[in-house]
Amino acid sequence: MDLLTTSVATVESGSEPYTLVELVGEADVTNSDALREVLDAEVAKQPRTLIIDLSGLRFMDSSALHVILRANRAMDRQGGVVALASPREPVAKMLRLTAADQLVPVYQSVSEASAG
Amino acid sequence: MVARSSAHFPEPSSRGLPLPAPTNGARYHTYRSDLSQVRALVLQHAREVGLPDGRATDLMLAVSEVAANTLRHTRSSGTLAIWHNADEIVCEIHDEGVITDPQVGRRKPAPDATGGHGLWIVRQVCDLVELNSDGNGTTVRMHMALRPPRTGN
Repeated sequence: MDLLTTSVATVESGSEPYTLVELVGEADVTNSDALREVLDAEVAKQPRTLIIDLSGLRFMDSSALHVILRANRAMDRQGGVVALASPREPVAKMLRLTAADQLVPVYQSVSEASAG
Repeated sequence: MVARSSAHFPEPSSRGLPLPAPTNGARYHTYRSDLSQVRALVLQHAREVGLPDGRATDLMLAVSEVAANTLRHTRSSGTLAIWHNADEIVCEIHDEGVITDPQVGRRKPAPDATGGHGLWIVRQVCDLVELNSDGNGTTVRMHMALRPPRTGN
């Protein structure tokens, strides 16, 4: 079984579709290149909103965080927005410690994130 | 290395004195590509000795960040040692990497930095971090107290 599985969907909601990337498992230095490829591919499609669902993520290290911050920067440059949804405690702690939660909006749920 | 500075090493240094050997009864684990097992061992041991959940996951995070550096910066395996006594649990990571910057991890990276958070996080979450780097490689020792300091009664 893979340590980290990713799934991507385009969600039609109300007026604006958004891209939803769901991360399940543990994201660390051993799979951050794969995560980067997934996020780069979605960013390249230039969605207005990219929501990353973290509810199934049991662990995230600084390598994975950096991949998300790079995606956030790229989205920002092209006028889009990244939002993070439902981080569990070890992941939420990482976002707080590094103050990444002040850079990328964090929501309790995907539906809250999609409502902006 | 604050606790281990000496006349020869007046500044906290990455090239300080060798650390004393782990106590008897330390558990060892060698890793090369799988950090999930490293994290599981730390979490299991921390819970066994009664470290509260939040601090147990903090220690797991710290050890994972240091072990990740083994994979990033060396071509060889790293070794995790875990031991505890009545006062604390200690996790040590040793690998063949060399750290040349004695201040590593002492300054907070900018929030949008896309590198350099690892050892800073380690220093934030652990009660004490000792670091020794020399020709034999790098040893990072992370300490967590098992109970709050006595207030006296």
